[in-house]
Amino acid sequence: QSRTVSGTVTGSDGATIPGATVLAKGTKLGTSADVEGKYSLSVPEGTTTLVFSFVGYDSREVSIGGASVVNATLKVNPTGLDEVVVVGYGTQSRRDLTGNVATISGKEIKTLPVQSFDQALQGRASGVQITTPNGVLNAPPVIRIRGVNSISLSGAPLFVVDGIPTFSGNNSAVANVPNNPLANINPDDIESIEVLKDASAAAIYGSRAIGGVILITTKRGRKGQAPRLSFDNWVGVTQPVRLLKVLNAQDYVTIKNEAVRNLNDNRVRVTPPGQPLPTPNVEGFRIGQDANGNNIDTNWYDYIYRTGVSSNHNLNFSGGTDRTTYFTSVNYSKQRGMLKNNEFQRYGARLNVDHKLFDRVTVGTNVNYSNTRNDSPNSGSVGDAAFGTAGLGRLPLVLQPNVAPFNADGSPNTSGAGLGAGPNLNPTTNAPLVGNFYNPVVDLANNYFTSESNQIQGSLFANWEVLKGLNLRTQYGIDNITFEDRSFLTSIAGDGFATQGSASNFLRTNKRWNWQNTLQYDRTFAEKHNFSVLLGNEQQQTDVLRSGYNRSQVADPFFTTIQGNFTNITPSGEFQGANYLVSFFSRVNYNYARKYLLTATARRDGYSAFARNNRFENFYGASAGYVISEEDFWKNSALASKVDFLKVVGSYGNVGNFQGIDDFATQQLYASGLYGANPTLFYSQAGNPNLRWEIGRKTDVGLSFGLFGSRLTGDVTYYRNLIDQLILPAPAAPSIGIPNTAGPGNLQNSILANVGSMVNKGVELNLRFNAIQKTNFTWTVSGNLTTLKNEVLKLANNDQSIPTATSGLETVNFTTVGRSVGSLLAVPTPGVNPLNGQRLVQRKSDGALIQYNHQGTSGPGSTGWTLVSTGANVPAPSQLADGVYFGPVLPTWYGGFDNTFTYKAFDLGVFVQFSGGNYIYNGTKAGLHDQRFWNNASDILERWTSEASGNAKYPRVVYTDNVSNGSALVLSSNVEKGDFARLRNVSLGYTFTSGLLSKAKMNSARVYVQAQNLALLTKYSGVDPEISTNGASNTGAGVDRNSIGQARTFTAGLSLGF
Amino acid sequence: LLTLGTLGCSEERLNPIPKAQISDTVSFDTPARIMLQVNGLYRYVKTGGFLGGRVQVHSDIRANDFINRTNNGVTGLLVWNHTVTEQSQNDVINTWGFGYQAINQINVFLDGLTANTGKYTAPTFPATFAATALGYEGEARFLRALCYYHLLQFYARPFADGNGSRPGLPLRLRGETNNDNNALARSTVAQVYDQILLDLKFAEDNLPLTPAAGIATTRAHRNTAIALRTRVLLTMGRYADVITEANKLVPAVAPFVAPTGVPHALNPSLPAVFTSGTTPENILSFPFTAQDAPGTQNQLAFYFLPPPLGNGEYSLNPGAGGILNDPRWAATDTRRTNFVQSVTSGTPPSTEFYLRKYPTGTPYTDPAPVIRYAEVLLNLAEARVRSTNTVDPQALALLNAVRGRSNGGTYTAASFASSNAMADAILLERRIEFLGEGLRNTDLLRLLQPIPGKSSVGAVNPTDALYIWPIPNTELAANSLMTRN
Repeated sequence: QSRTVSGTVTGSDGATIPGATVLAKGTKLGTSADVEGKYSLSVPEGTTTLVFSFVGYDSREVSIGGASVVNATLKVNPTGLDEVVVVGYGTQSRRDLTGNVATISGKEIKTLPVQSFDQALQGRASGVQITTPNGVLNAPPVIRIRGVNSISLSGAPLFVVDGIPTFSGNNSAVANVPNNPLANINPDDIESIEVLKDASAAAIYGSRAIGGVILITTKRGRKGQAPRLSFDNWVGVTQPVRLLKVLNAQDYVTIKNEAVRNLNDNRVRVTPPGQPLPTPNVEGFRIGQDANGNNIDTNWYDYIYRTGVSSNHNLNFSGGTDRTTYFTSVNYSKQRGMLKNNEFQRYGARLNVDHKLFDRVTVGTNVNYSNTRNDSPNSGSVGDAAFGTAGLGRLPLVLQPNVAPFNADGSPNTSGAGLGAGPNLNPTTNAPLVGNFYNPVVDLANNYFTSESNQIQGSLFANWEVLKGLNLRTQYGIDNITFEDRSFLTSIAGDGFATQGSASNFLRTNKRWNWQNTLQYDRTFAEKHNFSVLLGNEQQQTDVLRSGYNRSQVADPFFTTIQGNFTNITPSGEFQGANYLVSFFSRVNYNYARKYLLTATARRDGYSAFARNNRFENFYGASAGYVISEEDFWKNSALASKVDFLKVVGSYGNVGNFQGIDDFATQQLYASGLYGANPTLFYSQAGNPNLRWEIGRKTDVGLSFGLFGSRLTGDVTYYRNLIDQLILPAPAAPSIGIPNTAGPGNLQNSILANVGSMVNKGVELNLRFNAIQKTNFTWTVSGNLTTLKNEVLKLANNDQSIPTATSGLETVNFTTVGRSVGSLLAVPTPGVNPLNGQRLVQRKSDGALIQYNHQGTSGPGSTGWTLVSTGANVPAPSQLADGVYFGPVLPTWYGGFDNTFTYKAFDLGVFVQFSGGNYIYNGTKAGLHDQRFWNNASDILERWTSEASGNAKYPRVVYTDNVSNGSALVLSSNVEKGDFARLRNVSLGYTFTSGLLSKAKMNSARVYVQAQNLALLTKYSGVDPEISTNGASNTGAGVDRNSIGQARTFTAGLSLGF
Repeated sequence: LLTLGTLGCSEERLNPIPKAQISDTVSFDTPARIMLQVNGLYRYVKTGGFLGGRVQVHSDIRANDFINRTNNGVTGLLVWNHTVTEQSQNDVINTWGFGYQAINQINVFLDGLTANTGKYTAPTFPATFAATALGYEGEARFLRALCYYHLLQFYARPFADGNGSRPGLPLRLRGETNNDNNALARSTVAQVYDQILLDLKFAEDNLPLTPAAGIATTRAHRNTAIALRTRVLLTMGRYADVITEANKLVPAVAPFVAPTGVPHALNPSLPAVFTSGTTPENILSFPFTAQDAPGTQNQLAFYFLPPPLGNGEYSLNPGAGGILNDPRWAATDTRRTNFVQSVTSGTPPSTEFYLRKYPTGTPYTDPAPVIRYAEVLLNLAEARVRSTNTVDPQALALLNAVRGRSNGGTYTAASFASSNAMADAILLERRIEFLGEGLRNTDLLRLLQPIPGKSSVGAVNPTDALYIWPIPNTELAANSLMTRN
């Protein structure tokens, strides 16, 4: 005998809860609420209680008595204490968690105008620092979880999508166009993102967990859920902001001619009496006129930046029966950046299905296919191109404003590879002044750099519940990506001029299979002893192949693809890699009455890149937690009304790292090349057979709490991550001539060895406060803050200094013992000598002030440098001898601050990201004050001109002087603090009420507008304090050299549910 | 679970073998592989940043025959300006690094050649392989001498300064496959020259007299070693020894054709010497092909040719002191008519002059000259004049052979007031003849002459620190026994 009970499930916020689970207590009978939150359940006789539950709400038991209509109101659980957290190879309740795991809901990021979800994580989780290195679309963000986690290997986190580790980082073979494979994952498909930060949580990923682990869980259908169609769209515009001010034509001519005049003056002054005076340089900078007789005054930004229009469309369909659930989606995104020709496009489709095959056997599959294509001009901001003469970040800063981009006949103004001279004469030769910088209109109109990828991620799994609580699970996944990267350089001018036009194509395939077998046993003894035991094995094989070719000397300008005809062909970018990882792991969770919590994890990993004796390593993690608020004494005390949840946790363990080590790094190898037309064989790799794993020893102590009925919740954690056996470039004297695997013409001044040690430590704080919870108005504020102190403890030897060059040319980052990694080394300058306008530098050996006068000294030892006190010639200062360190380059504090307001159907989100405590080397500023023919920042007008100038901002300008500004000598005047707060996202939405919706046969509808990067608060004088010209380099952070900053994007969106 | 355990690990996958590279354990297993390694040594020496282009460019632009046009710090501006520092990447650091990388390739090869002797047995190896191996060793040691010689020219004081007693280079003679031997002090200049001469003697004794067809100008043979020896000895000022060596290649009277081995002689057409690089005059030139190109910003033509074929990095100095302006370089001289190109542009028009010795644009396949017969003739001529202190008749004949070939006019004994005047005429001839071939720096330094100034750049005196380059900071940082210049 049974009867039917029905009703509506509502949240304490008033909204119905579609999909809420309803169970007859003590039975397996249950159902889920429909889209309107209504349920109907046939309950057997004897059932007295129904259990209502849903993610994000407190579960609730309701006695039904004899009623046939039972409505339930579930309390919103903003603490997420009972939310299910995805951990490695399983899930856990946050209440029971002893490891440190941050969760970011897919909802928080799905509408953001990004290419890959990881770009949207800035400021969203404590301990996770994300830097957008430049404003080029699909550039991989730099993710550092709790500091920099390696020096020479990758310190990036491991990304795991639905259990299968995937590819990340820039995979493009064409330097100018980045390609982040994570862009193949549609952000709208993501249910949640979990960040495993401490040893306890991450050790289950053992050898790959030093940089933390980011787990991506995609959406699935829910059991009993009525079919549901969602349609989400947004359109947006992207614009540049904070472009740096440069001189106009008139000021340019004034400054440069003044510089020539000053140089002439210097040269005359140093000519000894009786010697003929030198031929004066020509004041060759002039204002030119265009065909209409108007003065030429070119704003180069106009030819490079634009307002880019983007749109994004997403359609998904999901549902479920008792046995089968499904989620399927298609998406299309087309995003145009602020840089001309910068465009990102994605097509994707996903199908996630779970099916109960037999009562105890479940099977399921996840399949995602995605095609992305990224087009980028040469921005100079990716791929070590900071000093390129084609970089669009640099060109508008340096190009002469008195030169026109086009000739009178409409053709681009060029001379050789470079921009035509215009009216300017070379002061030295009196010939037209031809610079080495390119005319960007040629590159933008003709050249292209694209990277296109096709990725299939698929896995199949089966779970057999052998006994109650004992699950045997197997999952086999593949993750295959094919990249086709293409570039074309026109013969008209620019980079393709010397090769008379060239094209390159690269094909890269990343193929991976991953097979996991786990046995999980969950059992509760005597009601209070909860055990969960996991045993597992994982194997992963990854094969990467890349081949490519370059063709040059185009046969006819008609040909702009590699399939056209060219005279020469050379192979390019050939690569073959193969690696295999095998692991055995186990995890044991135990808790007593959810009060005393213990977790122990062990993993043994073997990796093919290491030599036989060093191949296997054991990793482990252990943690314990104590939920004080579960104790009776607490519950019965007065405190309990104020502090309703209190948990202390601690963990320790060690994890490893090999990410980024070459597959054959430990072998001694020979490679083959060409000598003229003949093949060669040469010693190509001095491998180190003694290499072994990098080991991270992580310690965590934390406290989580809920106050005032969990209106204020939060946690605070102290972390310490000691990284040992760091694989470092142990110095190899250039004179021992170790080969570089890239072949002849590539220096190799180091050999990798496990010699270093480094520590990251700090505090993480998360707070969430439901400030106002009224029926019509709510305000939730949440914030997170992380502090970081990084210190290098040991390098190859105590005084080793690991330099990291920016684009191979300028070295400002040095990693040394006792300092934070990659600290800046700059020669201190107190400014400009008010008496003569010369750049002052403080010499380290004796603290004396010395000054630089370009080509203005003579006599023995003449270098341009003289002692201020006596005027005597002195040797030039050098960065190594006279530099002082500025650091760290990594923020010492960072976080996010999120406000959500709702008023009736309106919602407003205001999200601020902040970071600081770091130093930036503003190399762009050095270039902007260079006294070659380059244009200057408009503040060069504040240069020294006479004693009346007093303490001028910039030295007296002398033509060809590239020392006083910092181009040739790294000066402290270009080192700045990097503190900033960015209004990263503001969104305003309106959700239509159900009355209107039902007329339109819709379930839900929301419209919104959003602004990204609306405001930036910083004292940094460069374009953007987040710039990282050296990308994800562990030791090269904090450098801003000619890179473009982040754009500002406005979007408007519409989400519809049917 | 046991089943899972065994399923769960693949020993084969744990030991992947690279498919595009060869393990050191098998690199000496066949005669073909060893021969490929010999080719590899040449390839390393002709790295674009070393003797494949940059060494030649840097040697010439230090002096006053060229004007830097593009102000580009990557293409030799600092060298031209004499503002290099121990941190200068594209000249000071790279030249040193590429030179020593080539030396280590050679040393690793020499070590391997010896260590693998046990493998040189039938049937894989022919019975004659021992002799072949000696020839390979000769080639390797010839190349090592070439590398050390050119490194000395930039990083050590000239031999003439203290008769070689000044600090030279760390003398690396062992193959290095790890960084255990970072520290090594500098030998003296004389010690390094001694090793160079020792290597060249070995090469001379063991290199084939006549090389196989097709490789006469791209691989070393006996005459190559002798020719380089004349250059080395001239640089050391050992004029009598130059004469002894050069006499092996140069008969007493015209026609000047090498009497043994490869019959080197002046090629009637000079342009062909630079385009084909395979004339009898070319003793050693490094070849390039589209697939084995000099590399970006290393190509000789890229530096010297004006656009559109080159990038016009350097034009010929039209000012006083520059060779272009020297009245002794006749207007009819085919080296001027063939190799000087003028380009007029701008308003008002102005004319710039460029060296057109390397005429081929992309992919820049003109060979990089290392040594040619004309140099041996002028080495001998100068040595005779300086050792005899007379207006030596053979020297006069040799000088005229070079000058006359290009219609530069000929000298008579009466042209020279003194032997010094004749020596100066030979130096002038070398400047004209070898313009853009990388000999100028040595020709100034070996005689302790100032490096003349040009345009707005002043002269550098032999006493100045920047007369030679600084030792790279990378070496100073890693080699605890290294000392600064």
